[in-house]
Amino acid sequence: MIFLAPWALAIAGLSALGLVALHLVARQRPAVFLLPTTRFVPDQRTLVSRVAARPRDLLLLALRVLLVLAAGAAFAQPVLMPAHGGMARVVLIDGSRDASSADEAFERLRGILGQAVPTSIIVFDSIPSAILPTALDSAMRAPRSGAVGSLSAALVAARRAGATLAEHADSLQLILVSPLARRELDSATMRIRDQWPGAIRVWRSALRVDSSFAWRLEHELAMEDPLGPSVAAMRPAREEQVTRLIRRAPVATDSAFVRQGGTVVRWDSSSATGAAPEGLVAGGDVVVAALGRRAIASGMARARWADGTPAATERRIGAGCLREVGVAMPVAGDLALHARFQRIVRELLRPCGTLPVDTPADSGVILRLVGASTNAAPAAAMRQEKERSSTLARWLLVLAMVFALAELAVRARHEGAVT
Amino acid sequence: MSAGPYGALLDAVRGVRWPAARRVTGATLGAHPSQRRGNSSEFSEFRPYRQGDDPRRVDWRLLARSDRAYVRLTTDRATLRTTMIVDASASMAFPEPGLDKWRLARELAVGLASVAHSEADPVGLTIAGPQPLVLAPRARRSVILEMIRALDQTTPAGTSELEPLVTRARATRMVIITDLLGDAAAMLAAIRLRIAARVEVIVVHIVAEQEVEPPPGTLLAVDPERATTRRILDGPMRAAYHASFTGWMHETSASLTAAGARYVRALTSEPASHAVRRIADGSARRGA
Repeated sequence: MIFLAPWALAIAGLSALGLVALHLVARQRPAVFLLPTTRFVPDQRTLVSRVAARPRDLLLLALRVLLVLAAGAAFAQPVLMPAHGGMARVVLIDGSRDASSADEAFERLRGILGQAVPTSIIVFDSIPSAILPTALDSAMRAPRSGAVGSLSAALVAARRAGATLAEHADSLQLILVSPLARRELDSATMRIRDQWPGAIRVWRSALRVDSSFAWRLEHELAMEDPLGPSVAAMRPAREEQVTRLIRRAPVATDSAFVRQGGTVVRWDSSSATGAAPEGLVAGGDVVVAALGRRAIASGMARARWADGTPAATERRIGAGCLREVGVAMPVAGDLALHARFQRIVRELLRPCGTLPVDTPADSGVILRLVGASTNAAPAAAMRQEKERSSTLARWLLVLAMVFALAELAVRARHEGAVT
Repeated sequence: MSAGPYGALLDAVRGVRWPAARRVTGATLGAHPSQRRGNSSEFSEFRPYRQGDDPRRVDWRLLARSDRAYVRLTTDRATLRTTMIVDASASMAFPEPGLDKWRLARELAVGLASVAHSEADPVGLTIAGPQPLVLAPRARRSVILEMIRALDQTTPAGTSELEPLVTRARATRMVIITDLLGDAAAMLAAIRLRIAARVEVIVVHIVAEQEVEPPPGTLLAVDPERATTRRILDGPMRAAYHASFTGWMHETSASLTAAGARYVRALTSEPASHAVRRIADGSARRGA
């Protein structure tokens, strides 16, 4: 049992001691004696004080002490605590679109689940969901979600699960199975991580393979083409999905190619001269450069200018799609070598129907996630005291009222006997 | 009806004489010297003959010897109407359970009445309680038994005012048996008036031993006639109480004596017969 306000119990104890002392030094009304000549007794007082060797009115004293202690215990708000023991575990499994196969991580999980440690498993993408340990195998085999994972939401769910497990445990372990894609972290993630008062064990799983490795790029770019350096950074394809990059208007073969499932990206080779700096947004990346705008056909926006105007659009044609990019490269400059711009180019050139990919978070972020401490979180820090209600307090107050009524009755009987 | 528990008392006071404190004015022949000079055989004095005297009262032998006419005066005796006024207030019901003050008051009333009655004095009784009971002075033989019956049927309780009873009592000698804890001041004023009317007043102050020396220990003293009067009586208070109480008794005695009454204090530890004798003898010493 714990007391939410132990100071009340201390005050009650001191008050009870004071009552005992008062009953020793009680002002007592002596026995009544009918004396016709009472008027000749000096009129000073009707009570005398004396120190007794033992308290008088033991029944009255007992009732008063019990009343004070019961009231004090009620105000101290006792809460019966369940028995604690050992460690509990919270496992966060990244099931978002950035997570690739986590077979190794799951095998390790299966091993530790057999240790009879209370475990809460949470699979997360943009929304965390708790699953039973018995559902772990089906969670492994489930196709990856198309949503971006949110570490902030996952950590909040872990905190809640930890608070529940903390009722019956002494310490809590948090295991995070995730590729830790950059996009899964936001500005609140570290603050939320700090709410977990212990270390986080991070089991890195593989980031989903860049779709750019699964498709082939055909292009007719000249050596001096400003897009050349960005395209050259892409690795050779191994799969048969093909994206054709053209710097001219599409011809019949291009249309046939698209209908057969291919992707044609029309990125005219006009250059921007004297253009004001423009912001270009695509796939979560932003570049600001002296880019020129070119008119493009309408379609689904794949990139936008800073003012929201589509900078690249995509139209489905047959089994494939035609993408038009209305971005004019600057004549001079090393924009094509910038990593951010290269990611934008990769995003604009990936085949239709493929998912955008992300890069892993840097090592500093990962170290922050793990935390400086290597200890598991203490369960006492996780318990939600505010949710505790002291049902015992109500019964103790009732008991105190019973004692108060009994004290009144006994006192009235005593005073009646005196008078 | 027999005298019951008063038998021993009546036997003890038989033969006690209770003379009047002064010459009485009664016309009925009795035991007390009268203010009148009459034809009894008890020679009193010679007085020169004055015109109007009865010639038959002239002492001829003295005339023969002195050639002067003197009339022979004798002392007449008369009865003394005596009434007992007995205080029956709650303060007289002390201490419990024997109610010694009330017992002594009853015994004194019966004893004194018996002594007076034995001298052919009409005796009466007034019981001063919430409902006063008055037995007019009578000389008949059953008057003592009537007094005994009236006293035995009375239980002291409540409060009583003695002043109106003192004022209205039809007696030449009045014995007020009380603890003086009631309307003492008013009663004193009435006593003065009765004394001025040549009534002999004897105040018998009944005091209980436990009023002089209350039981030991710390007590909450409560006045039986005024329950709101409550005082702690403990060690330090006893001396002050004793001084206050005895001082009051002395003051009361002095006031009554100065008024012309006779003050007699009777403790409950004193046998009633002894007190009766003391009262009767005291009158004898003061009186005639």
